Amino acid sequence: MTQARHDTMRRRERLRVILQLTPILAVLFVLFGGALVLAVLQSLGFAPWFGVNTFPDFSYFGALWSSTSFWWSLGLTLYYATVSTVIALVLAVLLALALIKAFPGKTFYKYLYKLPLMIPYTVGIALAVLMLSNGGMLSRLAAFAGLIDDPGQFPQILKTHYGWGIIAVYVWKQVPFITLAVYAVLLGIGRETEEAAAILGADRKTIFFRVTLPQILPGIVSSTLICFAFNVGAFEAPFILGGGFPDTLPVVAWRYFNDADYTLQLQGMATVVSIGLVSGVILFAYLAAYRRYEMNMGRN
Amino acid sequence: MAFKHVQSLSERLSPFQKFYLIVIAGFILGPFIPLLIQSFAFRWAWPDLLPSTWWLEQRDKSMLPLAWDYVFSPYSRVWEATVNTVFIGSVVTVICLAICLPAARVLARERFRGKSAFEFFLSLPLIVPEAAIGIALLMIFIRLGLAGSYVGIIIAHLIPTIPYMVRMLTAVYQGLGRDFEEQAMILGANRRQILWRVTLPMLLPGVVAGALFTFLVSTNIFLLTFFLGQGQIVTLPTLLFSKISGGTLDASAAGITLIVTLPGIILLILSERFIKEEAFGKGFGN
Repeated sequence: MTQARHDTMRRRERLRVILQLTPILAVLFVLFGGALVLAVLQSLGFAPWFGVNTFPDFSYFGALWSSTSFWWSLGLTLYYATVSTVIALVLAVLLALALIKAFPGKTFYKYLYKLPLMIPYTVGIALAVLMLSNGGMLSRLAAFAGLIDDPGQFPQILKTHYGWGIIAVYVWKQVPFITLAVYAVLLGIGRETEEAAAILGADRKTIFFRVTLPQILPGIVSSTLICFAFNVGAFEAPFILGGGFPDTLPVVAWRYFNDADYTLQLQGMATVVSIGLVSGVILFAYLAAYRRYEMNMGRN
Repeated sequence: MAFKHVQSLSERLSPFQKFYLIVIAGFILGPFIPLLIQSFAFRWAWPDLLPSTWWLEQRDKSMLPLAWDYVFSPYSRVWEATVNTVFIGSVVTVICLAICLPAARVLARERFRGKSAFEFFLSLPLIVPEAAIGIALLMIFIRLGLAGSYVGIIIAHLIPTIPYMVRMLTAVYQGLGRDFEEQAMILGANRRQILWRVTLPMLLPGVVAGALFTFLVSTNIFLLTFFLGQGQIVTLPTLLFSKISGGTLDASAAGITLIVTLPGIILLILSERFIKEEAFGKGFGN
């Protein structure tokens, strides 16, 4: 009797759990999962609404992957994403380490460093145009310092394939994000282990690499994962500040998609799926390497 | 010797750190100074460090509205974009809260099989490139007639906002503990009373933080709005994009940039106390 009642109560409890998870599951499965599945299907030639249904058809991927411009685009996309994530990481860790110290104006700094996090990328792009273009502020300052006497002499930063303008925008926007994650972990771990290491005679470099870094690694990994994935899929910065053909993959996909020739939309879908595949493989490898490191450390 | 090292770990900034903090402040805030100047400039030729003619000097002579006159005129669509941005952000925040609150409660308190896989799935939208989601969704929404509509944009905004919201709310529920609800139950409160009288008031600060952050993420989204709005719905980020997509920045574009920055500054001041930094330190799938 009591056993039976206990069972019904447990079943009801489980039902409640499922009910509470249903909305979030439904939204993410239908929207996010549905979008991805449909993208894959279309890239393989399933588009009955265009009167195209040659599923499964690998010719769109074949055409895409056999063009050299695709590989240039892929290389550029990964180059911008990687370089900016690495630079942002280094700057952010230095900033987080400074922010845990006590200093006058700390409250102000805790507001200040989050500012770029709060505003759209397009603002960052506008600032990059203002500062870094050949007629921009840095160029004027260089002229003021007597280094150059014509805007053309200022090194071209924007609209080149080196992409320093794009990288500057990503770094500007993402230093706060990584700092926030690292700072949160630093707050959580306290300073006891560092102090213990210092008392045992470790110098500052050893303390950082052997004590602090392993502890902040979870924050570093999760925030850089997000930044890297964002950078791979970002559109506006490479569109405005990039060097033109060959564009980064999201811009290429967008151009295919807006082409008057609608059959190119399937080519665009193949590009989209390629972006997802490449970033998926890289992020998976990154996470796997991190897991392995954690295992070797004896954590988890 | 050891004493010296302990000192090196002191609570105070090293000279390098002092220098570094100044550099970072310059890096973050510096560009806003010429932006402000540019928004008031009429003629600002290279290599002048300040404009040679200011907007106010030319204001009466010009046929067309200049600089801030233009920004505040209906031609610039700034007001329309602001209303759209706030409207979309608010609706997204409300829906997101309704979806994430129950899920966060479960994630914070229940153990069930496949929980870590489920948590990983919830984080997935953060690490799938936005362009991929955007274009794939656009295809679906064009079929459904949702492209270029508020409904379509609001639905799309749920994808990047849900992961943050659910993380922040889960952290809030974890901090809350179960004791107070149990005490209320022992004292004879029913489920609804517990929810309205105990749980929600205690959750409120965390919920406000989550809501503010979700609103912020939504107002900052460019790509999904641009792709799915099909140019029919302008928000502040897409408006600014259309002004600077040529790669130049005139006085009115500088003014619009400043306007687009404002919501972020307001939310920063409002939310600094609320935003739990802990929610960001949480790793992926651990």
